[in-house]
Amino acid sequence: MPLVKVKDLNYIVSDQTILSNISFEINQGEYVALVGPNGGGKSTLIKIILGLLNPSSGDIEILSTPQKKFKDYYKIGYVPQNVSLFDNNFPLSVYETVSLGLSSQKPWFSLLNKKDKQMIEISMDSTDISNLRDKNISELSGGQRQRVMIARALVSQPKILILDEPSTGVDIASQEKFYQFLKRLNIEKRLTIIFITHDLGVIADDVTNVLAVNQNLVFKGTAKEILSCESVSELYGTKSHIIGHHNHNH
Amino acid sequence: MLEIFDYDFMQRAFIVGLSLSILTSVLGSFVVLKRYAMLPDALSHIALLGVGIGLVTNSSPIYVPIIVAVIAGIAIEYLRYKKRLYSDAILSIFLSGALAMAIVLINLSDGFNASLFSYLFGSITAVSSEETIITVLFTIFSLVLLFGSYRKLLFATLDEDSAKASGVGVFGLNIMLVVLSAVTVALSMRIVGILLIGALMVLPISTALLYKESFYKTILMAIFFSLISVISGLFISFYFAISSGASIVLVALLFFVLSLFLNL
Repeated sequence: MPLVKVKDLNYIVSDQTILSNISFEINQGEYVALVGPNGGGKSTLIKIILGLLNPSSGDIEILSTPQKKFKDYYKIGYVPQNVSLFDNNFPLSVYETVSLGLSSQKPWFSLLNKKDKQMIEISMDSTDISNLRDKNISELSGGQRQRVMIARALVSQPKILILDEPSTGVDIASQEKFYQFLKRLNIEKRLTIIFITHDLGVIADDVTNVLAVNQNLVFKGTAKEILSCESVSELYGTKSHIIGHHNHNH
Repeated sequence: MLEIFDYDFMQRAFIVGLSLSILTSVLGSFVVLKRYAMLPDALSHIALLGVGIGLVTNSSPIYVPIIVAVIAGIAIEYLRYKKRLYSDAILSIFLSGALAMAIVLINLSDGFNASLFSYLFGSITAVSSEETIITVLFTIFSLVLLFGSYRKLLFATLDEDSAKASGVGVFGLNIMLVVLSAVTVALSMRIVGILLIGALMVLPISTALLYKESFYKTILMAIFFSLISVISGLFISFYFAISSGASIVLVALLFFVLSLFLNL
C-alpha cells in the first residue's frame, strides 16, 4: 500500500498552470528527493499534500485515506523552509519548541503526560539536542535550529517526514551531519522521507527515488538514472547544476 | 495610604484593573508574537464606534461596543487569513474607518461630552458594579480557554503553516484570539481608555520579551509587569487626580525603558 498516492493532479491559479497532470506513488521506507528548479512547483505540490492548498483537480490519498477525509496530519512530520530565518524574538525554549509537535494530537485542556514527555526526550536524544533543552531558540546556530525542527516533526511519531529545503542558511559541516542523520532515520527506522530540494547533488547518494517536477512530473526514477539522463536539461535548462555537487562523503 | 480602599469605586477599579492586567498580558503575548500588535488599537477605535452607536441610540454603553468590536474582529481575521490581505493595511482601514464613523455619530449626538472623555482616557470612577462582575467572569472564562488551547495557540502563533500542516485548527484559534481580544478591549476602555488600551496589551509583553526567556516565563513576567503597572497607576490616579489610563501606561512604559537599558 502506498503511503502517498497522487493521481492526475492539477493546480491552476488565475489561469496560470502551476502543476499539470502529476501522478506518482510513494511507498513505505522510500527516501524520495523531490527536485526541480525554483518556481517549478515543488513546494506547491507539498503544500497540496499537506492540505495547505486545495488542488484544482486530481486525487490524493494519504495513508490509504482520500485526502478530503484525512484528519491525522500529525502522522506527517513537516519541516518548513528557512528554519534559520526563525523569528529571533520568539521566546521559546528548545523543549517547548519540540513539545509543539504534539499540539494537534493533544485534545484541548490536556497536559503533557508521561508518555508525551518520554517522546519529547526520545526526539531530543535522537537529534542530539538534549543538552540544549533550556536554551532559547534565538541563541542557537542554523544547524542546531534545524535539528530542533526535526525533533519537533519526529515527536508525533510520523509515518512520513517531509522536509522543504531545510538546509537553506545552514553551514556546510552541519548539512553533512544532517544528511547522514536523515539517512540513518530512513535505514534504521524505516521512516519514509520526502526531501524537497533544487539541488539533488547533496543527497543523490542517499535517496532511493527521485521525482523531478517542473510544472509537469518530468522524471521519476533513481538518482543514478536522473544524473545520467538527458531529461535533466528539460528540468533545469542545464545539467551542470545537478551534477556539480555529486558525491558527498559519508 | 490604604484609605483608598474605603471607596467602593476604588475597590471596583482595583478588581477590574487586576483582572484585566492578567488577561491583557496573556492575550497581548499571543497578539504581539503574531506581529499583530496594532490589533488592540484597531479594536479600541472600533469599540469607540460602538460607544458612538450607544450615544446616538441610547443603548447599553457596555454591550454595544463589545458586539461591534467582536463583529469587526471576525471580519478583520477573515480578510487576513482567508483573503490573504496585508494585516497592517486591514487594521489601518478598520481603525480609520471606525474612527471616522464614530466621529460622525458623536457629532450627530450631543457632541463631545464628559462621558466620552472618560472612554478616551480612562476613569477610575467610571467602572460600575455590573462591569466589574462581567469583567471578572469574562477574565476567568478567557483564561480557561487560553489555558485549554495553550499549546495549539502557541504553535499557530509561531508558524501558521506548520501548525496547519500538522492538523492544528489555525483559523478557529485565530478567531478565538481576536474575539477574546475584542471583548477585552471593549471592557478595558472604561478604566484604561480607548487611546491607551493598545499600550496595556503591548507594553508588558514587549518588556518581558527583552529578557529572552522561555514562553512560559515570558508570560509570567508580562503578567508581573502588567499587575505592578496597573496597581501603581491606580494609586497615582487616585492621589494625584491624573487619568488612570495615562498613569498605568506611563508606569508600564517606565518598566519597558528600564528593561531596555538593563538588556542592552
